[in-house]
Amino acid sequence: MIGSLLRADLLKMRRTGIWWVVFIGPIGLAAMQALNFGMRYDYLVRDQYAADPWAGLLHNTGLFVPIAIYLAMTLLMAMIANIENKQNSWKQTLALPVRRSAVFASKFLCCLIQLLVACVLLAISTAAVGLGLGFGTPIPYSDLLTLGLYPMLASLPMLGFMLWVTLTLRNQAIPISIGIAASLMSVFGASMPEIFPLAWPSLVVGGYKVMTFAGCGIALFAVLYLIGSIHFSRKDVA
Amino acid sequence: MTDMMIETRNLMKKYKGTRAVDALNLAIPQGEIYGFLGPNGAGKTTTIRMLLGLIKPDSGVVQIFGKDLRKDRLQILRRVGSLVEYPSYYGHLNAIENLETIRRILNVPKSRIHEVLATVGLTKDAKRVVKGYSLGMKQRLGIATALLGSPELLILDEPTNGLDPSGILEIRELIKKMPKEQGITVLVSSHLLSEVEQMASSVGIVNQGRMIFQDSMPNLQRKAGSEIYIALSDAEAGVVTARELGCFPRLDDGRLVFKGLDNGQIARLVAALVDARHSIYRVEERRKSLEDLFLTMTGSGGAETDISRIDAGHGAPRAVGLRREAAQ
Repeated sequence: MIGSLLRADLLKMRRTGIWWVVFIGPIGLAAMQALNFGMRYDYLVRDQYAADPWAGLLHNTGLFVPIAIYLAMTLLMAMIANIENKQNSWKQTLALPVRRSAVFASKFLCCLIQLLVACVLLAISTAAVGLGLGFGTPIPYSDLLTLGLYPMLASLPMLGFMLWVTLTLRNQAIPISIGIAASLMSVFGASMPEIFPLAWPSLVVGGYKVMTFAGCGIALFAVLYLIGSIHFSRKDVA
Repeated sequence: MTDMMIETRNLMKKYKGTRAVDALNLAIPQGEIYGFLGPNGAGKTTTIRMLLGLIKPDSGVVQIFGKDLRKDRLQILRRVGSLVEYPSYYGHLNAIENLETIRRILNVPKSRIHEVLATVGLTKDAKRVVKGYSLGMKQRLGIATALLGSPELLILDEPTNGLDPSGILEIRELIKKMPKEQGITVLVSSHLLSEVEQMASSVGIVNQGRMIFQDSMPNLQRKAGSEIYIALSDAEAGVVTARELGCFPRLDDGRLVFKGLDNGQIARLVAALVDARHSIYRVEERRKSLEDLFLTMTGSGGAETDISRIDAGHGAPRAVGLRREAAQ
């Protein structure tokens, strides 16, 4: 059931511009670093990061990864929910022979797939920038892949929250405002107490207890997902 | 045990303390076009949403195809097509893509898409983005969507709402074809008696969440009745003339109003009035409006009296069947 729902959901995204967000986000991040390293090549590559220019590139890109992921989660979920909210298509979708929990799961998988694609694109475009700047081999493949992936896992509670709120509220202004506020706050994540979920992606990017916070992200996400899914399954569809 | 497609028992839904739907017993036999009538806010849409499992009743049972909706929701919905209030569509997709999103979930053959588009007459516009459709076309796409899974039961909530007369006619013709050509049972809600009258074979009327009438269309028409209005030069003298013929009119603003006259009586009456030197300005038949019907129905004691009268009086088999059901 989830398979056919997912295929239907992917079709619904045609011509909505969702995939542009997925492409422009990571490529934009890489382009920004291309500019940064290109303009200040002598200082950054020959001087500050002369020992390991790849690490320098990854570090500079990583600073912007948490805010990018939070914004992406907000924007993507709002757009996914908007497909059904716009013409109140929920009453059509949920009157089909489908379990509501499966509908909820399918929307989550849509967003997760898009985030993973964005992570891969970030790795590819950052690698292209590094090679373009002549950093040469060896290319740090695994660091490139985890550049987006680990902070993404640590940010998952945000996705759980967005999933719940965007799919159960008709007024998308509320989740979007919260999402943007959280994105902006995440910039200062590294100076927040560890217990605060908004700090987790920044801590992971900084290489601090990476697996712990990625795990915390997944755990808190699971709780929020469960609450959202149960609420979505029980609520009356107006 | 029963050939009822939809049956509800004591269905109730509360919104903030008021009962939007209260003690509602629907009984819709197979192969009928069932007109679900009531003024705006009577509880029609709420009832239909409960039939589709979109909202949960506070109490009561919904049975569709003889199965309990709470237990066999997915199996039931697989055999039901629906259109709830305004059409739901994805404006950025064309008609084929819209249907494809549903087809992937229902898992029916791709050929069905073209079949249903042909049924509702949208084949020509199938590749246009739905945003640019007229309301009538969107509504027809909604019906095509409802038909996609070859349902046995079609639930249409106010399908002609907001359409122009030609759009209404198109949809009506489409609905009337369903039982004949495809053996589909149709539940269609409306707030217009005239609308339902032209397509339904049985009717249920709700008011303030309660069913106040449920029977076949001919029985409703008999109940609604019609009145003959005669406007003439001297109404009071006309009353005397009418009485001599055994007709007892009431006076309404200089017109004589008669109930339940047949053609022969009207002819004799007009002839007598002309003989008595009255100038007759107008002879017209007026059907009772839905509002009048409501007033008489609610005024004469509400739901209980009316339903029992149907049972005893006309002895309509479906109403009796329902009662026997309830007694068990």
